[in-house]
Amino acid sequence: MTQRDGTAPQVNSTIGDDLGLGLAVPGSALVDAAGHRKVHPISPLVHAVAVFPAMGGVVIAFGASGGASIAENLSDLPGLQSLSMLSPVLLAIAGVAIFAAVLSLVVALYQYFAWRALSFWFDDDGDFRVQSGVFIRQQRRVQLSRIQAVDVTQPLAARVFSMAALNIEVAGQDDSRVRLKYVTLADAREIRREVLARAAGLDAKTAEAPQDVLTRVSGRQLAISLLLRVSTAGLLILTALIVAVSYLSEGWAGIGLALVTGGVPLIIVIAEFIRFYGFTVAQSPDGLRLRYGLLRTESRTVPPGRVQAIDYVEPLLWRRLGWTRVLVTIAGVGTESSSSNQGQGANTVLIPVAGLGQAKDLVSRVLPALDTSELAWIHAPRRAWKRSPVQWRNLAVGWDESTFAIRRGRVTRHLAALPHARTQSVRWTQGPWERALDLASMHVDTTPGPVTVSGLHLASAQAREIAENQSDAARRGRGTDRSIHWAQP
Amino acid sequence: MADVSTEQAFTSGDQWVRVSPKLVTARRITLCLTLIPVVAVIVVLALIPGIIPAVAIAVAAVSAVGFVWAWWLIGRRVRSYAYCEREDDLLVSSGILFRRLVIVPYGRMQLVDVTAGPIDRSLGVTTVQLHTAAATTDASIPGLEPEVAAQLRDRLAHRGETRSAGL
Repeated sequence: MTQRDGTAPQVNSTIGDDLGLGLAVPGSALVDAAGHRKVHPISPLVHAVAVFPAMGGVVIAFGASGGASIAENLSDLPGLQSLSMLSPVLLAIAGVAIFAAVLSLVVALYQYFAWRALSFWFDDDGDFRVQSGVFIRQQRRVQLSRIQAVDVTQPLAARVFSMAALNIEVAGQDDSRVRLKYVTLADAREIRREVLARAAGLDAKTAEAPQDVLTRVSGRQLAISLLLRVSTAGLLILTALIVAVSYLSEGWAGIGLALVTGGVPLIIVIAEFIRFYGFTVAQSPDGLRLRYGLLRTESRTVPPGRVQAIDYVEPLLWRRLGWTRVLVTIAGVGTESSSSNQGQGANTVLIPVAGLGQAKDLVSRVLPALDTSELAWIHAPRRAWKRSPVQWRNLAVGWDESTFAIRRGRVTRHLAALPHARTQSVRWTQGPWERALDLASMHVDTTPGPVTVSGLHLASAQAREIAENQSDAARRGRGTDRSIHWAQP
Repeated sequence: MADVSTEQAFTSGDQWVRVSPKLVTARRITLCLTLIPVVAVIVVLALIPGIIPAVAIAVAAVSAVGFVWAWWLIGRRVRSYAYCEREDDLLVSSGILFRRLVIVPYGRMQLVDVTAGPIDRSLGVTTVQLHTAAATTDASIPGLEPEVAAQLRDRLAHRGETRSAGL
């Protein structure tokens, strides 16, 4: 394997650069009569603008016909008859636009009152308080000791005005996060700094802990990597074949099929490109901070003590380039309904694509004890080809005194690993076909997530022994494990 | 290959405990109960005019074969359940066609469930299930006598406490 990116590049820019479109608005750190902070007065407008991208989605969902019928209804009104002179398409667009405009006016009006009601401040106990509510007033008190993370995000509409939303994640129930929409980006950073400083028990004026940017995925690398994934590349080649055959045979029925085989992977690639665009990893005192997104910037913090297992994924066409994707299982993350994330939960990706050395560097930061480079591997026996004719050559398990790892997959290779201390239980399984070949598999169970640590189709007796050893190693690992309190010296 | 049971193949010398044979009865009763709707369907099929009687006969034959097979399988499956309490972990083995053995360290147990359905209760069999933070662990021991189950639960809970570790 190539070690192209052996060292992390020394990029020293700060994370979360303003991605605004230049419409900087004056007015920051607004304060009301009671001395409480307010969000920016332009917020109702931002909310109103946010209606339009959403309407775009509605148009796609309902098709232009819905818009046309709106327009027709409008044209029935007296004085609007002249509209019927226009073409149906224009009418549809006009209908949707009018509807969106009316809706955004309503939103703006409501958000104006919401803005008037919303204020936040630090109370005498040093806790963070948020008062809000148009019809029902509510006051929320955020205990600073319970704060998990403070994130600054920039949805598309907010970016137009260089605004940002502030999310304060609190340990507790589902709806325990506090959202402040919207403040200027500088204000958002300032509030975050203050909340974090106070939460850490430091003076409110303490500067934010420095963040070193470790790596940034270029848009080019991301696009190439997504196109070179096995399923995507395969489907695109298939599409080209279908088109070629259709062209040669002039049987144009194939084009419909080509639209599906070509369109679906392209949509997936584009969606993932938008999601992971500008993926930046920075080191901060509370863990690795990830930030990504083209239209909507997301930011996540991966605390080292909560990573359970990791998986290096190497699709066939990435291997020549020495690229890999790293997935992580984090306790309590990525198990919520994955409806909004296409297939692979985005919040379990440590980095979407990176050179192998770079990936290992990042992994060593979230799981310092983990080292997969010097493991002694035990391979599946030769007869395993009868059970898994494709991947049997790459089936192996390996371990040392701190790490357990497995390798599987031929076309898309996986190398999954976890520290012994993260073992929840060990399983040994044997299906009928494995039994006939005197093979068996062993699995190391860990918390729910994308990483599966299964040593497949090993020699039966060996699998048994490895499972036993792993149980012992896990016990020893737990005895010496200190990563729960990773911040302690 | 001879029918070597999983636990023999795994570790010799440990004290393996099999589950109560009453579980066979409990499961066979459940099997008979699931048969009722199947019989009802067959009867309806036979009564509907216009349907070839062969269809009803075929369905009846298939379900009869399935019934006998399941009846026989229950006996073997129940015999395959066994558990073994060791110093630091609990072993549970099960399965005939797809054999499995789970090793659960006491320190990793999050909770121990003791459950018994109405049929199980009337026959005096109980299921003890261990949960860890991993969803895939699936270590359940069905068919324990209620007193045995209660004692096992208490022992497991005690050992879990003394050896507990974080996630």
